[in-house]
Amino acid sequence: MTTVSLGRFLLKRAVQGLFVVWGVVTVVFLLRFITPGDPVTFIAPLDASQELRRQIAAELGLNRPIYVQYLDYLWGLVWGDMGYSYISNTEAGARVFARLPATIELAVAATVVAVVLSIPLGVVSATRRHQPVDYGATLFSLVGISTPNFWLGIMLVLVLAVQFGFFPTSQRGIGFLPAIGQTLAQFDVGFVVGRLLELQLFDVWKYLTELPVTTWLAHITLPAITLGTYFTALITRLTRSGMLEELGEAYIRASRAKGLPESLVRYKHALRNTLAPVVTVVGLQLGTLIGGAVITEAVFAWPGLGTELIRAINLRDWPIIQGSLIVIGAGFVIVNTLVDALQAYLDPRVVAD
Amino acid sequence: MSEEDSSLDRRSFVKLAGGAAASVTIAGCSGNGGDTPTEGGDDGGDTPTPTEESDGGDGGDGMDTATPTETEAGTATDEPVEEFPVTITQGQPPSTLDPHDHRETPTDTVVLHAYEGVLARSPGGEIFENLATSFERVEPGVVRFDIREGVQFHNGDDLTPRDVAYSVNRIVDGSVGFESPQSDQLAGVTGASVVDGERAVEVESDGLNPVVFSLFANYCDVMQRSWVRADDTEPATQMNGTGPFQLSSYEEGVQVVFERFDGYWDDPAEVTELTFLGASEASTRVNQLLEGETDIVVNVPPQEISRLSNSDAASVAAEASTRIIYNGMRYDVEPFSDPQFRRAMNYAVDLNSIIENVLQTFGDPTGQPTLEGFVGHNPDVEPYEYDPDQAEQLVSESGFEGAEIELHTPNGRYLRDFEIAQAVVEQIDSLSNVSCEVNQRDFGALAGELTDGDITTSPHFYLIGWGNATFDASQTIIPLLTSDGAVSSYSNEEVDTMMDNAQSEDDREERDSILQELNALLHDQAPWIFLNRQYSVYGSSERIDWTPRADERIDAYAISPAE
Repeated sequence: MTTVSLGRFLLKRAVQGLFVVWGVVTVVFLLRFITPGDPVTFIAPLDASQELRRQIAAELGLNRPIYVQYLDYLWGLVWGDMGYSYISNTEAGARVFARLPATIELAVAATVVAVVLSIPLGVVSATRRHQPVDYGATLFSLVGISTPNFWLGIMLVLVLAVQFGFFPTSQRGIGFLPAIGQTLAQFDVGFVVGRLLELQLFDVWKYLTELPVTTWLAHITLPAITLGTYFTALITRLTRSGMLEELGEAYIRASRAKGLPESLVRYKHALRNTLAPVVTVVGLQLGTLIGGAVITEAVFAWPGLGTELIRAINLRDWPIIQGSLIVIGAGFVIVNTLVDALQAYLDPRVVAD
Repeated sequence: MSEEDSSLDRRSFVKLAGGAAASVTIAGCSGNGGDTPTEGGDDGGDTPTPTEESDGGDGGDGMDTATPTETEAGTATDEPVEEFPVTITQGQPPSTLDPHDHRETPTDTVVLHAYEGVLARSPGGEIFENLATSFERVEPGVVRFDIREGVQFHNGDDLTPRDVAYSVNRIVDGSVGFESPQSDQLAGVTGASVVDGERAVEVESDGLNPVVFSLFANYCDVMQRSWVRADDTEPATQMNGTGPFQLSSYEEGVQVVFERFDGYWDDPAEVTELTFLGASEASTRVNQLLEGETDIVVNVPPQEISRLSNSDAASVAAEASTRIIYNGMRYDVEPFSDPQFRRAMNYAVDLNSIIENVLQTFGDPTGQPTLEGFVGHNPDVEPYEYDPDQAEQLVSESGFEGAEIELHTPNGRYLRDFEIAQAVVEQIDSLSNVSCEVNQRDFGALAGELTDGDITTSPHFYLIGWGNATFDASQTIIPLLTSDGAVSSYSNEEVDTMMDNAQSEDDREERDSILQELNALLHDQAPWIFLNRQYSVYGSSERIDWTPRADERIDAYAISPAE
């Protein structure tokens, strides 16, 4: 694979992605015209005259031909302007991007939970086929895939938060970056080491639990598990079946025949080849998680894009609905483009195809 | 306000009046199934919906009573406790911090801790002076408020009459600042001006406007003119009021944190830090309360009540709200154009059974548009008796035998709205000569059809709720049941005339009498199927002493530590 061909491949993907985003923008824009509920109704005083309603519609630009509104919207987007939400009294773009970090944080945390748990589980399950650990992993996968995440979230909260008090029931607490920044600023190494040397372990534990990063971790754990469980189960199954397939290949037999250590055969050869489809699915799922965290966000009152989207839909707050959907769609496209790049790197045949 | 009330400080007054407002504490009552007002639910949601519209008033002339704060007892209260943080979780966070730029109960609940009006209401609906020390009607269309001295905004500046006049004009006059969506909440008010050389403001109305004091008891929070007009001020995200709490931090769409304002003109609040959170899921709110992460949650659904009742940390508190749930029937389409048919529909519905079985007693039956305790309520008018035989006979007499009707209803907007609609439909459908079906609708679309100012776009038969926090019959009847009403489904010359007479009558008793007569007429004409008065159901922590209010506001100034 040459650098030029890889560059051309990525450029092609990026251009395709742009068209997809344009399609998303167009569909999302047109949705407004086929959805019941007039935004003017939500803004106008109840006793507003028809004249005032017309004025408000004019102020919102709703009285112009659709194609003019569309072109105007597209032009605004080019400059990063998603419109002004009169219902939420804010720039739609500012509101959407203010919510995005919480959703990305949750989606990434769920992905980390899934990847960290599922790949080892899938590998172990494949290499110990028909043993208890394999049955356990298979059962977990089945349950994980079958469990609706809103139910799982509610159960986790009832048991681990309400019953045992291990975690907060809801809310975000603090963002990841502020948590890291504040923790680094206030972390007292001398205190921790001193207490450890004095074997005052309870003091150390108490100190650690009060750190901002611990607050962040406590708040994100249950939502991340809730959102990541289905994903974990999916990747476990994928890894297991991929590993089983690879382990049955001729090159594996050849590797074993020439005396390579079993760990090298499994992890360097079989696992690496298994990972290509896994990476694809992880990428696709990450995109899905950004848009699909709506229910989990509602259960945990997580102030992300999903919560914002539901609120906006209830209010017919179109600038924010459109902005949220476009960001979700664009996020999906970006993640997929990155996954394609990673795929191309891992498997040069992708570029050749 | 009576003389004996004046021996109390304002906070005590607010609390005691709340206790006297017949609030119902139902801790220990078991919840059994049922449904929930889902997000947005009956806490007002976040839209300019019929349910949040209000106005009305007692129609009374000004009263120069001594304010509670001017008394000895008012200044001799206990020292506030050192640290007493309180958290309140609503269905949603506020959409803005600008008190004049929204129409939502959850936002109102938040901003009213930092901003105040010239008048205010006790939890039971009684009007008392707040930033005004007295109020009176100067002439038919002009009222006067004398403005309290010694009141500071949170930025340290003194309150002036000019600020009060500016705040009124900011709402009613689009040319002053912006087009406020609250202009109809000060219905009839045309403007305000400072009285030359005096610490007073005169407010002008178009016509008599008998409910003007009632409007000012609910609306028109006072903002500082110079602060609003300053270049670096953003009222949607910053606050500068005269209220007992000042803004500490605001994370848009996530949380609002207040701290106690020690420069408050009255006794400082006992709550030292006040946090508002939003959680759309009822179970999430209840979990927060059980875990001690919050102190008050709104809209506790029936199935969650037992969890709270069985807890040592929290309990359930319910209060009859100012909201009526009804089935509107369009007067201009058959079969609802016939009063006999409409009466038949009322006889066909077993309201007591619905309240007992669907609402688990969280509701009161109604038989007129005006709720008990409101000006104009007619105590002699009883709800319609359940009498299916009478209903069938009336349908027969109306000539609409075999009528097929369809009830449009939202689902999840009001406490068990869809289940109420199902019960109504089932009972009507069980009549031998009418068939009825239910049509579940998206609330936004349904509200849009009802509030677009065009009756012909409204469904013929629908379930909706209407909140009227002004405790006056007019502000339900005018918008909903007069020919020119903004959300009217009904037209009757006699009703219009009686309403006009009431609105131009400056004698309170006479006006009350006209309104009572009007309610009796509306009962007979049956423009609606009169359903239930909705209850607000809250969960509250045992660490606080708090009583819910009829108007759905949560007033942290009236919260104190539990003994």
